Amino acid sequence: MTFLFALFLAQASCASCHGEDGNSKIANIPSLAGQPEFFILNQLFLMREGVRPIESMKPLVKDLKDSDIDALAKHFAGLEPRPSGESIDPALVKRGSELAVTLRCASCHLPNFAGRQQMPRLATQRVDYLVHSMKEFRDNKRSGADTLMSNAVAGLSDADLTALAHYAASLGK
Amino acid sequence: MVLALLQSPPGFSPIDRTNEAASNQAANLAPHATPPTVTPLERLPLDKIKLPAGFKAEVYSFGHPGGRTMAIGSNGTIFMGTRQLGRVYAITNRDGKREVKVLLQGLTQPNGIVVKDGALYVLAINRVFRYDDIENKLDNPGPGVELTDKFNLPTEIHHNWKYVDFGPDGKLYVQIGSNCNICEVNPGIHGQIRRYNLDGTGMEIVARGVRNTVGFDWHPVTKELWFTDNGRDWAGNAGPEDELNRVATGQEGAFYGFPYCHAQGIPDPDIRKPNACAGVTLPAALTGPHSAGLGIKFYTGNMFPQSYRNVAFIARHGSWNREQEFGFDVVVARINGGRARIEPFMTGLLDEKTNMFYGRPSYVLQLADGSLLVSDETNGAIYRITYQAR
Ligand code: HEC
Ligand code: HEC
Repeated sequence: MTFLFALFLAQASCASCHGEDGNSKIANIPSLAGQPEFFILNQLFLMREGVRPIESMKPLVKDLKDSDIDALAKHFAGLEPRPSGESIDPALVKRGSELAVTLRCASCHLPNFAGRQQMPRLATQRVDYLVHSMKEFRDNKRSGADTLMSNAVAGLSDADLTALAHYAASLGK
Repeated sequence: MVLALLQSPPGFSPIDRTNEAASNQAANLAPHATPPTVTPLERLPLDKIKLPAGFKAEVYSFGHPGGRTMAIGSNGTIFMGTRQLGRVYAITNRDGKREVKVLLQGLTQPNGIVVKDGALYVLAINRVFRYDDIENKLDNPGPGVELTDKFNLPTEIHHNWKYVDFGPDGKLYVQIGSNCNICEVNPGIHGQIRRYNLDGTGMEIVARGVRNTVGFDWHPVTKELWFTDNGRDWAGNAGPEDELNRVATGQEGAFYGFPYCHAQGIPDPDIRKPNACAGVTLPAALTGPHSAGLGIKFYTGNMFPQSYRNVAFIARHGSWNREQEFGFDVVVARINGGRARIEPFMTGLLDEKTNMFYGRPSYVLQLADGSLLVSDETNGAIYRITYQAR
């Protein structure tokens, strides 16, 4: 019942932006396929309550019940993540991989960047969205979240963030 | 490129400068998640809780996910602040039962809450709100009076979820954390405890060189300020240990060592300077490696045995940056002048064998009858501890 409802809701109100199979084809919109279930659940709570306000999603999330959120999280977590097809620059991947070690990204996001619990999957995510989201953390714009993430990218240049994004997106599942 | 990062100007306090090889810790340590969902009554870990003889724990309230800080109004309403979830709860009593309502939501880390003269003050990072006559407006608190501009607090979010309380001098004491794990901060801005008049004027720095305190209280007899302080991460499983500190009378503005000197005089391995511990006020007690001592309250009630008079109860939220978990309990600090001795009090929420925890004690609050409330952030519950002589 809830499963069917989630499937229906996902197709009817999420697919147009996040992709039919949960893999986004649109710039700056994240793929949700294969994200840790808890991550999706947590973010939908934060969106519903206005802690992470996303204008285009507001009408969709404002009336979601806890149980709807739970079902949507399970649904997207179970989908297969696929690369976006954006071009990946090997030189940036190398530079990003070095930065990631210094900055200890893997301690939270895991060495394969698959994410866990409240920490999102970065592997195969859209490059443009990765850059966008890291800028938001750095510039204090996604502030309701776990502040350790803001700390992790504090002081990095746009070029550093781009390198990190290419590295993350280059990782398979 | 990395070098350029390390040379960023002090005051901006950009990144962690930890030396990952030196910490010698498992690479996959990460902060624990806080569920935004309700933990139902039957799943609360009440039966795990262990207390000294004669003490008993019961569930006071539940159904307030992420609830941490507690403040009580004169009609007995408990207000609770959260971090990520951005809510402030109001918990009221009706016919011996608790009712939980979401009073405010959509705030950024509203951990700083305190009640004075009928008004609820809410501090969310740099934003400051006052809700007058709040206990008569629980169904419709309105927008409140925003005092953000008056206080002009820093906007960096990391380690800046607030802890606030009114001191015996009637001033509002406010935490300003160091916005990094370990780095040079601008000592004029970060790593402090400050006090203000109610309207945001008259700012004074009460303590400096504080990494991140998220709990303080005043000794009932000496009226001195005591505060918990969370030690740095990624310098090993052994610590440096967290601290219980005292601001001795006449020593307001003293320097507590961050980022150069930790615990009982350990120079920082990453941010080095000669005589790192010179001029540093050392802690009254160490409170354990990565244990995350948050809330602290001195006990002034009549319910507990005489030997608990004027001891401090400290909630230890529990470690993440440590392979073998540590804390997840409430300890007692017995004060003797400028020193303190730490003893276990409420244990059982950490299973050392499996390295699993069942709850995270966050803050403590004494009720008028002398019983003690302990909030559990992970389960969104409050436990009430009572004592009966046998
Ligand atoms: C109109 C386009 C649109 C629709 C429809 C939409 N979203 Fe989104 N969603 C976005 C955008 C844009 C972002 C990223 C915003 C940002 O961070 O700047 C986002 C972010 C998210 C995130 C956070 C992911 C992450 O990696 O941080 C989740 C979870 C999410 N959406 C779930 C959903 C669900 C579930 C639905 C259907 C109920 C939905 N969205 C419908 C545009 C949309
Ligand atoms: C201490 C743990 C921690 C570390 C270290 C860390 N992150 Fe994160 N990261 C998180 C958490 C938690 C979130 C989710 C924040 C939230 O609640 O919105 C996150 C979110 C992100 C996002 C947003 C993705 C999305 O789908 O919305 C990106 C991108 C990211 N991290 C990249 C990195 C990179 C690159 C590094 C290393 C420079 C790093 N992180 C280091 C914990 C961490």
